[in-house]
Amino acid sequence: MEKIILNETPVRTAKNFNINNIKLENIEIPKNIKTFNNVQVKVEGTTNIVEEAETNINTLTYGVGNKLQNIEPNKSLKITIKSKKNQEILIDFNLDKDLIDNIEINVEEGTNAILIIKYKSENDIKTFHSGIIKTILQKNSKINLVIVNLINIKSNNFLSIENELKANSILKYTIIDFGGKNSITNYYSNLQEQEAENELNTIYLGKDNQLFDLNYIGELRGEKSNMNIEVQGALKDNAKKHFKGTIDFKKGCKKSKGNEDEFCMLLSDTAKSLALPMLLCSEEDVEGNHSSATGKAGEKELFYIMSRGFDKKEAMKLLVRAKFNKIIENIQNEELKNEILEEIDKRLD
Amino acid sequence: MSKTKVDEINRNIYDIKNKDEYEFKIKKGLTPEIIKEISKQKNDPEWMAEFRLKALEVYNKLELPTWGPDLSELNMDEIATYVRPKSKLNNSWEDVPEDIKNTFDKLGIPEAEKTSLAGVGAQYDSEVVYHSMKEELIKQGVIYTDMETAVREYPELVKKHFMKCVPVSDHKFVALHGAVWSGGSFVYVPKGVKVDIPLQSYFRLNSPESGQFEHTLIIVDEGASLHFIEGCSAPKYNKVNLHAGCVELYVKENAYLRYSTIENWSKNMLNLNTKKAIVEKNAKMEWVSGSFGSKISMLYPMSILNGEGAKTEFTGISFAGKGQNLDNGFKVVHNSPNTSSVVNAKSISKNGGKCTYRSLVRINENAKNSKALVSCESLMLDDISISDTIPVNDIQTDEVEFSHEAKIGKISDKTIFYLMSRGLSEEDAKAMIVRGFAYPISKELPVEYAVEMNNLINLELEGAIG
Repeated sequence: MEKIILNETPVRTAKNFNINNIKLENIEIPKNIKTFNNVQVKVEGTTNIVEEAETNINTLTYGVGNKLQNIEPNKSLKITIKSKKNQEILIDFNLDKDLIDNIEINVEEGTNAILIIKYKSENDIKTFHSGIIKTILQKNSKINLVIVNLINIKSNNFLSIENELKANSILKYTIIDFGGKNSITNYYSNLQEQEAENELNTIYLGKDNQLFDLNYIGELRGEKSNMNIEVQGALKDNAKKHFKGTIDFKKGCKKSKGNEDEFCMLLSDTAKSLALPMLLCSEEDVEGNHSSATGKAGEKELFYIMSRGFDKKEAMKLLVRAKFNKIIENIQNEELKNEILEEIDKRLD
Repeated sequence: MSKTKVDEINRNIYDIKNKDEYEFKIKKGLTPEIIKEISKQKNDPEWMAEFRLKALEVYNKLELPTWGPDLSELNMDEIATYVRPKSKLNNSWEDVPEDIKNTFDKLGIPEAEKTSLAGVGAQYDSEVVYHSMKEELIKQGVIYTDMETAVREYPELVKKHFMKCVPVSDHKFVALHGAVWSGGSFVYVPKGVKVDIPLQSYFRLNSPESGQFEHTLIIVDEGASLHFIEGCSAPKYNKVNLHAGCVELYVKENAYLRYSTIENWSKNMLNLNTKKAIVEKNAKMEWVSGSFGSKISMLYPMSILNGEGAKTEFTGISFAGKGQNLDNGFKVVHNSPNTSSVVNAKSISKNGGKCTYRSLVRINENAKNSKALVSCESLMLDDISISDTIPVNDIQTDEVEFSHEAKIGKISDKTIFYLMSRGLSEEDAKAMIVRGFAYPISKELPVEYAVEMNNLINLELEGAIG
């Protein structure tokens, strides 16, 4: 058991704002863990390749923290996208024991695909998950990536995501972040070349004493690149969320655009929301916007739904679903979509 | 041509460099002996002399900030923390030594006193050289004096409030201030008294390789109101000067205070200033801030909304040019129900200058039904400048309305094109857009200061565009 400091922001602010990093106590980092086998991989067609192989992830620019990134993985996957048919790959981890996974995704020039990675606990055994997902998008490629975290709330969840985007590539990332006692995510996108596009949509839903620490960083380097971050969340009970979002316009990214929107719905008077939506700008001819809002569920909307015969809990569920719907609609897999909607209902009961 | 002309005429007002003449200048550095000598020179009461030494101990224990601009060039061994000018405190400009009076004349202070102010304080280096207030306010019981007089004549009032709102443990430069403070203004507005015309204190630092550490303490009692204006400037020297002032504001129940600042320190100044207000039930605190000068500025005025229904507004603009790093912003803590805060912050970066908006909005658990609205906009005038927005929003209860919006961008080509099609040159079009961008702030200032701010913007823009 030790105290670890994770998820440092790219730029520091005053210490007493309590947001430069997250300090976690009593985190048991597993050692010498056995190979993880409880994973199912479904690949549409035969062109895209998912193989068990050592990945080439040496160092991360950011990541959750070295202490976690240096643990030897017990599952490594290498995915190569070679098809232009926008076929789906589904990787389904069932966390019956600790999982340290490294996933490397290479999206070859001109190809496209849908990739869904799901982490789920089928029971309430306490486990530990620390993953790294690194995606490289070559020129004119496109991938729609969905990460679903449905781990139980006894377990800890750490995820480091890193992306490199070459010219004219499009990365659509959707993160459904519901599970984990502590769910700590670091997301870093490097939009290296011109006209690269990255859209990141996240929904989180916290209950009991769950803590979410989301540290999202987008660096725009190529001309006419575009980064869009939208985060929608709801917190009940004593749940807490820290959102740290950075859009960094680096020199040379002329005519680029960056947007960051963060909305948090507080469903109890003991839930807490801390946010740091940063815009860093070293280039003149760009457009950067962020907006952030926090508050309780709208009384008027609740009243309207309840006047149609729903009780308060059902009305609240409908409101949360409505807020999340735009992001959930990004998921084309109907089965998964329904599973997420059911999970929302279950967590709000 | 235009650039040269403007630089020669306008900048000189602020860059007037008087001969470094003084009655006493403490030796450079920061030791208990130096602090004791300041106490002796200032004839401190015992409690203040002890306070200074304790503050020095805190200063030595605290670290430099691990965030924000690089302060490594600040070497306290090279700074004289106390410089007493060759003038006593006067209540007539005629008695102020001629070179000092001339400086304030050129800055327009005596003229403003005649036309638009209810009282004026003028500090030169470490001491206040002039203080005066209209007779009718004296009759109403308003106190407006220099801090040293307040320590002597109103010891209980000062002891009760001095560095209680901003404790020396807040950060390293507040501790430094506690150890070496000198000068500044003390204002007390009694219950129910409305001071309709503003009071103004002007702080001028003339001496090279020195610091100014004035302390401003304002108490606006229940149901009273006041507008206080603070101005500051200094001529430019090659080595750094330091300004670590401290402003403590107490806004009692149903009271109103507006605190306006036009800061135009020279570009060798490190401006590490601290300003905080405690706002009680149904009281209102308004901050208006224009930040143009300094090499480095770290300034985040703060409102603590302690009373139910307390309100605060912050309206501020920063303008960073070549070699400037202005790290400014605002902090607000909502501690009671039905409190509200509105923030409207703007910044302009040009010629390699860096502007950072850094802020905190904290709504604590018991601040039910509170509202906070934050808007910040940054304008980049070229591709060698930097503009960062680093806001922290800490919401600890559900019964709140909180929203934050920020924008970064350049002047719209379409707007320039439109104005040029109406006959304006590109430079004039840009200048007009920037003035329009700053208008929400300048309109909050009394007209004379709005004109000063517009002149400063024009002056800065001539360098950027001309």
